[in-house]
Amino acid sequence: MRVPPTPDPATPLWRAAQVFRLLSCLYALGFQIAINADLDRPAVGWSLFAVLIAWSVACAAAYLHGYGRRIAWVAAELVVVVALMSSTAVVASDAWALDNQSWPTTLWATNATISAAILLGPIPGMVAGLVVTAASAALKGYVSIDVGRNATVVIELAVGLAVGMAAQTARRAHAELQRAARLAASLEERERLSREVHDGAIQVLALVSRRGREIGGPTMELAELAGEQERALRRWVSGVGTRAPEGTTTDLVPMLRCRASDRVSVSLPADPVVLDSDVAAEVDAAVANALDNVAFHAGAGARAFVLLEDLGGSVVVSIRDDGVGIPAGRLEQAVGEGRVGVSKSIVGRMEWLGGSARLNTGQGRGTEWELTIPRSP
Amino acid sequence: MVVDDHPIWRDAVARDLAEEGFDVVATADGVGSARRRAAVVKPDVVVMDMRLADGNGAGATAEVLAVSPSSRVLVLSASDERDDVLEAVKAGATGYLVKSASKTELADAVRATGEGRAVFTPGLAGLVLGEYRRMQRIPGMGSTPSLTERETEILRYVAKGLTAKQIAEQLTLSHRTVENHVQATFRKLQVANRVELARYAIEHGLDE
Repeated sequence: MRVPPTPDPATPLWRAAQVFRLLSCLYALGFQIAINADLDRPAVGWSLFAVLIAWSVACAAAYLHGYGRRIAWVAAELVVVVALMSSTAVVASDAWALDNQSWPTTLWATNATISAAILLGPIPGMVAGLVVTAASAALKGYVSIDVGRNATVVIELAVGLAVGMAAQTARRAHAELQRAARLAASLEERERLSREVHDGAIQVLALVSRRGREIGGPTMELAELAGEQERALRRWVSGVGTRAPEGTTTDLVPMLRCRASDRVSVSLPADPVVLDSDVAAEVDAAVANALDNVAFHAGAGARAFVLLEDLGGSVVVSIRDDGVGIPAGRLEQAVGEGRVGVSKSIVGRMEWLGGSARLNTGQGRGTEWELTIPRSP
Repeated sequence: MVVDDHPIWRDAVARDLAEEGFDVVATADGVGSARRRAAVVKPDVVVMDMRLADGNGAGATAEVLAVSPSSRVLVLSASDERDDVLEAVKAGATGYLVKSASKTELADAVRATGEGRAVFTPGLAGLVLGEYRRMQRIPGMGSTPSLTERETEILRYVAKGLTAKQIAEQLTLSHRTVENHVQATFRKLQVANRVELARYAIEHGLDE
């Protein structure tokens, strides 16, 4: 006996289906007792009923243990059901078949529909239901289109659809849960890693850089290198564990944190600042534009400061630098330098978001962009 | 008093401070030892690492200040300005410095903390600003202290990288007034934290 490697999320459905199978067998038994005397060949009727019980037991065992939960077994069940239904022609007269439901009851035949729906989902479930209906129609020699008088087709389709969707939902929920569990585990692992990196590597690098600077001389170079690596690692560690939520919204905080560097200080709130993903991407791009501007035009040694504020109704991002700034009346020259081109792209992005971009600058005062992004209600 | 779980760092910081003329009265490697020693030596300034052997710097800050209320806590952290630093400020820390700071910067920060002045970075100002905004958004927190317009203005300047001196020039205030404003925002956050804790206790029936 082979047990599936992972627990099947549809297991409760399989169990419920076997309860239904037991009830349908009892119903079929009652039907059999009631009508056996009317059959042309009662003896054959009873022996076929024994086959039905034996097959039902085999199916219940197979589905409960799990080895029957595959296409071959479900197809076999459908074949047996159709075969038993077709045997009506052998055990009973045509007139009887026309007046009664097909032997060995439509209710019992529905087991095949249920199995197909649980294993394969709503569409195959409904197809199995149609097969059962077709077998019954073939016996009677006509297709009943009066669903008011004969609801077999409706019931079979409804069972296939409902059970199939239940199974699908169970599987999807299970897959989602597993994914979440995996994600949580990997986050935990990253956090553990970041703690270890912190305690060891970062501390030592920081120490080397500090002592190195104090000793001076050629050690300064080593100190600089160690300091650079320390800051890079620190940024990496602080970026770990804050992944943007999946789907259509994104947390702007980790996005902007990635923009921090030796020359860029980023000030952020502790809580996530969630925006629509494409809005967040535009804001991030505008910040990148502004920081590029700083790198190209603010002069050597200029530092940039990014501040993110969540005002509830709107989000404000300020990008300030302590560089040379744009002297008044020199914007024409700035156009020549391509500076205004970038400015236009920042303004354009903000306008597209229904927000605003304000530039505040002057000679020797550095430049400051203030981007305001309204939140859609 | 120097609290750090990393022995090399603890010794280096203690030595640097001693060289700068400070009297290092104790060192500790964790929350428990910090509390026990602070209760005895009542240090003027505690230089506090954020990650300790048996807890974090925010918890240690609260415990140290509980047994030695006159002490002032300067957080010295290798981690970037994150929630844990904010927690330390809420617990009563009045200064924050990254470990990449130089020996002189450290000495200046310890001196400033000892004098009761706030030591801050742009990142910390951003966190504090964000925390006040978060509290404003929570309905039913009527008694929560909020920032004055001047305080908001100054915190924003700090977060955007202006030094206290530059801010003072911009607003035609004294350098010291700017620092006092920043310090007030830290203090109010500490009060807000106590209010929040008390409210939590009442809501969860811990007062019965």
